[in-house]
Amino acid sequence: MKGFKPSAPFLLLLPAMIVLAAVVVVPLLLSLYSSFTPFRLTRPETFYVFIGIRNYLSILSNTDFWWAFGRTVLLLTIALNLEMLLGLGLAMLVEKATRGQRILRTLMMFPMMFSPILVGFQFKFMFNDNIGLVNNALQSLGISRNAIPWLIEGHLAFIAISIAEIWSSTAIFAILILAGLLAMPKEPIEAARVDGCTPWQTFRYVTWPFVMPFAYIAMTIRSLDVARAYDIVKIMTDGGPAGRTELLWTLVARTAYSDGRMGMANAMAYFSILLSIAFTVYFFNKLAAARTQIGAEW
Amino acid sequence: MDENSSARLKRRLLGVVYRIGLFLAMLTICLPGLWIVISSLRPTVEIMAKPPVWIPQGISFDAYVAMFSGIGKGGIPVIEYFRNSLIISVTSTVIAVAIGMAGGYAFARYRFRGKSSVFLGLMLTRTVPGIALSLPLFFLYVRLGIIDTHFGLILAYVALNVPFTIWLIDGFFRQVPKDLAEAAQIDGCTRWQAFWQVEFPLAGPGIASAAIFAFLTCWNEFALASQLTRSVSAKTLPVGLLDYTAEFTIDWRGMCALAVVMIIPALTLTYIVQKHLVGGLTSGAVKG
Repeated sequence: MKGFKPSAPFLLLLPAMIVLAAVVVVPLLLSLYSSFTPFRLTRPETFYVFIGIRNYLSILSNTDFWWAFGRTVLLLTIALNLEMLLGLGLAMLVEKATRGQRILRTLMMFPMMFSPILVGFQFKFMFNDNIGLVNNALQSLGISRNAIPWLIEGHLAFIAISIAEIWSSTAIFAILILAGLLAMPKEPIEAARVDGCTPWQTFRYVTWPFVMPFAYIAMTIRSLDVARAYDIVKIMTDGGPAGRTELLWTLVARTAYSDGRMGMANAMAYFSILLSIAFTVYFFNKLAAARTQIGAEW
Repeated sequence: MDENSSARLKRRLLGVVYRIGLFLAMLTICLPGLWIVISSLRPTVEIMAKPPVWIPQGISFDAYVAMFSGIGKGGIPVIEYFRNSLIISVTSTVIAVAIGMAGGYAFARYRFRGKSSVFLGLMLTRTVPGIALSLPLFFLYVRLGIIDTHFGLILAYVALNVPFTIWLIDGFFRQVPKDLAEAAQIDGCTRWQAFWQVEFPLAGPGIASAAIFAFLTCWNEFALASQLTRSVSAKTLPVGLLDYTAEFTIDWRGMCALAVVMIIPALTLTYIVQKHLVGGLTSGAVKG
């Protein structure tokens, strides 16, 4: 055992490192290189032509790209905030239930089992202007006379996509916040009530600080796969109508595989990678801060 | 007396509001899925009917029969897709869990320099969006000749799952007290034996749920699979679902049926692991 021990964690982590280096790090370096070339799939020889940062410069002046970028950030902001709020509400509803909590918890997890592609399909079906559940219900109830073109009009399509995204990911927040609520000791709440706090004050200053790290775990997990919105958009509208729901990821896919402009697509992909990393690092730091705070207080 | 009864009324009213809220929330969660199941069992005429038919007049399994009766009838080789999905998901899960166990054990049991930055680095590899990763992988796979093969997709999925598997398994090993393995070693076990006979069985349920989680990630993945597979020999179910939309008229009932086939394994497995999953993700949040 002597002399072996210091390198044990290194040896244990080695397989993970090798796989990740081979499948993630090296390809990413390759794609970084090709973002400096005019590489086209149809003309392999362009892979060896170095053009510096010309791809990045043309992206900067590309309005389609910035629309997609802005739309992606907007979607993530709306979705993450609403998911957090709805998840908190849902967790508190379920926590209050006196009977059948187990079954409620199982039902609550239901959307998590759906793959993004299924979520997209399901909402494409429900929001279909002709035979969709939403329009049928609205017309039967007499709320709307005409069929609402959910996936055909730009703004409505964005709303429909946001709803699909929120429906699918609220469960993650609800589950983790519920775990926090259940793990929470009851004494501080009782003490706060005895001291005359209103329900809102109890929630704001006792419950919420305790539950916060759990919400940040959910945020970190979500930020790891923000790109799953790609699947949803791909199947629901495929970026349409006329590019009005194009997100960063669908734009990258279109540039790379439909237009075959790999070099340009790789340059765009780097923006989307940086966006994802920014989200993850931000929430990871929040998580760490919340953890130390809890450690100090409880 | 009057105050008493008004307070009671208020409480009862709040109770009713609470129940309605809970009911609406659960309805919103369950309805889309149920609608898919119902639609897959109705005749197409009923789905297309105007004005809508709300209550199904009869149940038919035609969509499922058509789907599994091969290319000739349904148009989509579902059986092949199902087989591809199963092979790729199971193989990559087994490999990812083996690698994840080694890594998770290292994080849970050893102190080493730069531990938290290594951990963050692992997580960062997971943040790369599938579609961004698919660009260089597509190029490399074409060069290496492993595009459109099971092997290529398995390799990609192992890398996709390793970071998260390490996170989960790390949490589960932390829950096993260190003393137990040490006691076993004092009693004459080697570290290797102590691991397999004491720590592994105790962390077993947790590792199983990490495995199921990895399986589901593979089973549901679309962005990579849609670019790295081209033909029946490697396409997975999520890519297959898109086959239906590629046609000029969308076969809603067939798609619903395929969606049900996709969701059933996921549903069963998630139900089994739900308890451990939450435990694994939050361990360390309260216990430090």
